[in-house]
Amino acid sequence: MVGLIPTHTIISPSISELKWDVEISDRLLQIQLAVKKLLENQFADEIIEIRIGFRTLGILWHRIPDPQQLLHFLNEIKDPLTDPLSRKTWEIPVCYENEFAKDLPALAEAKKLSPEELIRLHSENSYRIHFFGFLPGFMYLHGLPELLFSPRKTVPDRNIEAGSVAIGGSQTGIYPTNSPGGWHIIGRSPLSFFDAKKLPPVWASPGDLISFCPISKEEFDSLKNSSFQPTWK
Amino acid sequence: MIKDPANLTILKTGPGTSVQDFGRIGFGQFGIPISGAMDIRSMKWVNHLLKNKENEAVLEISQPGLKIQFDAPTQICLAGAKSNVFLNGQFIKSEGLIGIDFGDILEFGAINLGSKIYLGIKHGFRILPVMESKSFYPGILENGNLKKGDQIGYFTNQEKPKPSPVKVIFNRDWMLSDTIVAYEGPEWQFLPDSTKAQLEETKFTISNLQNRMAIQLEELIPNSLEEMSTAAVYPGSVQLTSGGKLIVLMKDAQVTGGYPRILQLPEDSIAHIAQKRPGETILFEIKRGFDFSKPH
Repeated sequence: MVGLIPTHTIISPSISELKWDVEISDRLLQIQLAVKKLLENQFADEIIEIRIGFRTLGILWHRIPDPQQLLHFLNEIKDPLTDPLSRKTWEIPVCYENEFAKDLPALAEAKKLSPEELIRLHSENSYRIHFFGFLPGFMYLHGLPELLFSPRKTVPDRNIEAGSVAIGGSQTGIYPTNSPGGWHIIGRSPLSFFDAKKLPPVWASPGDLISFCPISKEEFDSLKNSSFQPTWK
Repeated sequence: MIKDPANLTILKTGPGTSVQDFGRIGFGQFGIPISGAMDIRSMKWVNHLLKNKENEAVLEISQPGLKIQFDAPTQICLAGAKSNVFLNGQFIKSEGLIGIDFGDILEFGAINLGSKIYLGIKHGFRILPVMESKSFYPGILENGNLKKGDQIGYFTNQEKPKPSPVKVIFNRDWMLSDTIVAYEGPEWQFLPDSTKAQLEETKFTISNLQNRMAIQLEELIPNSLEEMSTAAVYPGSVQLTSGGKLIVLMKDAQVTGGYPRILQLPEDSIAHIAQKRPGETILFEIKRGFDFSKPH
């Protein structure tokens, strides 16, 4: 377990953070989820919310417990018993056709790939959901093939349509709402990724997997007009 | 006690008038900003005087020019920034309880001290909360900023309240201080000593780039830190961008970020910096550690 031991830093009277100095991995996420659960059970009255980062757990406290008590507890869980990660894979239909993929041709060219190869590389992998952030319902995903890593645009687009699937840096993601953004747009999903009227407002959870499934423009239109909900297997 | 529904109408407003409470606490895990009043200190004072719940929603006003008409009697309370306030054309005080009668018109002129005015109303506004909060946020609770013609519901007991004999003072001395208390952020430890010293000694100017999401400071700080793996950020987190700009995250900020978080402002300091205007300067007083024996 060397390297998987986090450091705990108290930042303000209501914020502290656990940090792991290791590479992002499924194993690390498994440990983060286990530690999160243990903390939430032990300090149910003191903790407002624990938020996952790629290598951190950010803890928002009503009140931070006595540091000695906290340190003792954290020492006990440095090597937690972890549950296996979720086996759910959500299938996300994505239309990669030109109308929805304005940056795909240029990105494929820069990568010396055909558009079809780029789509294949993007859609044959599955991606792990680590946490939500950036925008309501935006999933931080890990697992983009290195071949597709691509620096963000120097000048961000002023408006990216909700459902747009994009690549930025070492990540791929889906814009859940219309937003400005600096990632390369390679397709669009007809699904809804955030519903403020529902609780929880998102259908997936950290630890789940997602995969992208290429669809035609016709399929996109018919799914868009139906109340199609994503499914997992 | 009668509690009939009534409405106020926005006759005129500049940008930046919205309904806010403490915000959506505990929904960051879904990517949802906390939102809520920028200056919780003034908001709490308003609700305290009105004998409302401390989390009752209030109007946050950040530009002069707001003109409101009330269609039925109520009691309101003002705090936060000091401004020229007129009730039916008569100049009145800009803090404390104010009795409102049928058809009264309240108008806000120039802001003289501070930046955000808070207007609370007896029994609160009639707004259906979304995720436990009445705070406006685009895509979650719509109509982000109030505009001309908008109406907001409240409750009336059909009778103008008698003026309170109790004189209360809303002390604004804290708004005058340029010293903003901050804690070391998670990435502070990686800064070279020279940069740390610079952060403590520089008078930073509030830039024009300031809204409910963030306040950007003008002076640049050399940044030798690398971008980090995306992690949680909070209102009051101070990010150092790759270009050396300091960004103080405020209530509508994103919940995660990749820039080093070099300082963290506590709630009182968020209220304090929220009352600063573009062009004003601040100095960070950086606290190292804190006393756990005291309640906080």
